[in-house]
Amino acid sequence: MGIIDNLYAYIYLRGFKIWITYRTQLILNVLSWVLPVFTYYFIGTSLGDKVVSSMHFKDESYVSFVVVGLAFQGYISSVITTLSSRLRNEQLYGTIEYYVLSSGGVLSFLIYSALWGFTINTVNAVMILLIGYILGVKYNVNLISAIIIIFLLLSSSLGLGMISAGFTMIVKQGNPISFFFATFTTLTTGVVFPVSVLPDFVKFISYAIPLTWALEGLRYALLEGYSLSQVSEYVIALSLFTFVMIPLGIVFYSYAFKRARYRGTLSEY
Amino acid sequence: MIEIEHISKTFTVKSKEIRALDDVSFTVPKSSIGALVGHNGAGKTTLIKILSTLIIPDQGDARINGISIREEKKVRKEIGVMMVSERSFYFRLSGFDNLVFFGIVQGLSISEAKKRAKELLNLVGLSQFSDIQYMKYSTGMQRKLALARALLLDPPVILLDEPTLGMDPVSSRDFRSLVKEISKEGKTILMTSHNMKEVEDLADKIVLLKRGRIVSQGTREEIMSSIGKIKVVITDSIPRGYEKYVSGFVQGKVILRIPEKGIEVKGEVIGEEEPTLEDVFVYFTDEEIDSPKNRRRGGGFRRWE
Repeated sequence: MGIIDNLYAYIYLRGFKIWITYRTQLILNVLSWVLPVFTYYFIGTSLGDKVVSSMHFKDESYVSFVVVGLAFQGYISSVITTLSSRLRNEQLYGTIEYYVLSSGGVLSFLIYSALWGFTINTVNAVMILLIGYILGVKYNVNLISAIIIIFLLLSSSLGLGMISAGFTMIVKQGNPISFFFATFTTLTTGVVFPVSVLPDFVKFISYAIPLTWALEGLRYALLEGYSLSQVSEYVIALSLFTFVMIPLGIVFYSYAFKRARYRGTLSEY
Repeated sequence: MIEIEHISKTFTVKSKEIRALDDVSFTVPKSSIGALVGHNGAGKTTLIKILSTLIIPDQGDARINGISIREEKKVRKEIGVMMVSERSFYFRLSGFDNLVFFGIVQGLSISEAKKRAKELLNLVGLSQFSDIQYMKYSTGMQRKLALARALLLDPPVILLDEPTLGMDPVSSRDFRSLVKEISKEGKTILMTSHNMKEVEDLADKIVLLKRGRIVSQGTREEIMSSIGKIKVVITDSIPRGYEKYVSGFVQGKVILRIPEKGIEVKGEVIGEEEPTLEDVFVYFTDEEIDSPKNRRRGGGFRRWE
């Protein structure tokens, strides 16, 4: 079974073809990506750029800061909340058992499901970055640094996504991991204001989340053109997250499925 | 061939243990149709899910064409499964796209999946509806599509959990013809059903389950003859514990269908008939007269080889 075949099935058939049948949701999705940019644009223009001066960008513009934050915030939620909600959806659809029986098994299902979230959020990110350009953001992109940081952001989040999906398999609803990432990332990870303004104990939480490192690194890679060696501390931090979280995620996710198969609760929701 | 040996499974629900299957053993020979019959909660679906590797048994083993269900990856290639759920497809995709999707997920390439989807839609009589969204399918069409999905990889063994549930009589009849056709191709089929006529019509082998235990099993002929003939008896009132044998009322009197084997009741015998599978099911699976004594008389717990 080739990757192309799976991409066709998961991204085109199950992702895109179903997504475009919900036209109202499609429009609302796009609006939900675009509108926050304007909200923070006007906050920035009315309050000034002082809040981001501690970041020491050449272009000390709040709009530049927030555009990168909003563009890539979706990536972590795409991996974490998409996986757990996808799993829950499949339980509701009654299709989860057919993934268990499939040749790729539940791990393949999870990874390809994450890819759909990644695809949608790439469209989201590109749109936000384009709107930023229209609003006057000056990009100075180092593509290699940016791509490596995005890849590491996804890989480091995948382990968390697996743990989150494992929780969904066990508790069905009320997933604490998804809740945390859906609600606290804007507050704690430097999406719309720098982490430096947070109280010290919150900073501690912030730097335990891969997105915080990724956003700082991406701002330098996209706005300042920093090379790979200049963003090495972010690359190392994200690599460490990846190496720790992915094995943990696989173990927990496999445990959750095995537990469900022992208890006969695989398709319960 | 399906060989089931001493399978047991207990679930814990709110600290209470429920024995879903208790030492279940039977065999469905190659190229034949086996049917699991029993009340709701008898353990039929649990057994189908264990054979599908979706539930892990506490004890025992089963082999599908000689491969143990413990060898999950290998055994999954041998089986096609149709679960009882009326959903289990993507409502906004067409029948064709759904089959292509599940074909690829099961390991086919895009072109193989498309080719197979066309063949199977043709086989189950849905080719003219292939581009219609699944949500617009009738129950009968949905069940046929589910059967088509079970056949995607052309597996030698098919497991069908209540395949005609919710179908109208005409759709049920069509579906049964399909199952017969598939069986003739040499596939081994194990199905569950509450529809006794369907089981009588299809099954070569019948296994009666009650509260997770096999109470009778055998070929269709063995099962049907296991309770002897049916006496149609008219009585003035319903004898205590014989409510399940009531088949009707006439002029203030009660008509009972009583198996001749070991059960006697006072009344006027107005006829004798061959038993239906429903008579056998009623005899073996009801609570009230299911004493050990009656079990012995009825020949329960026979092992069919």
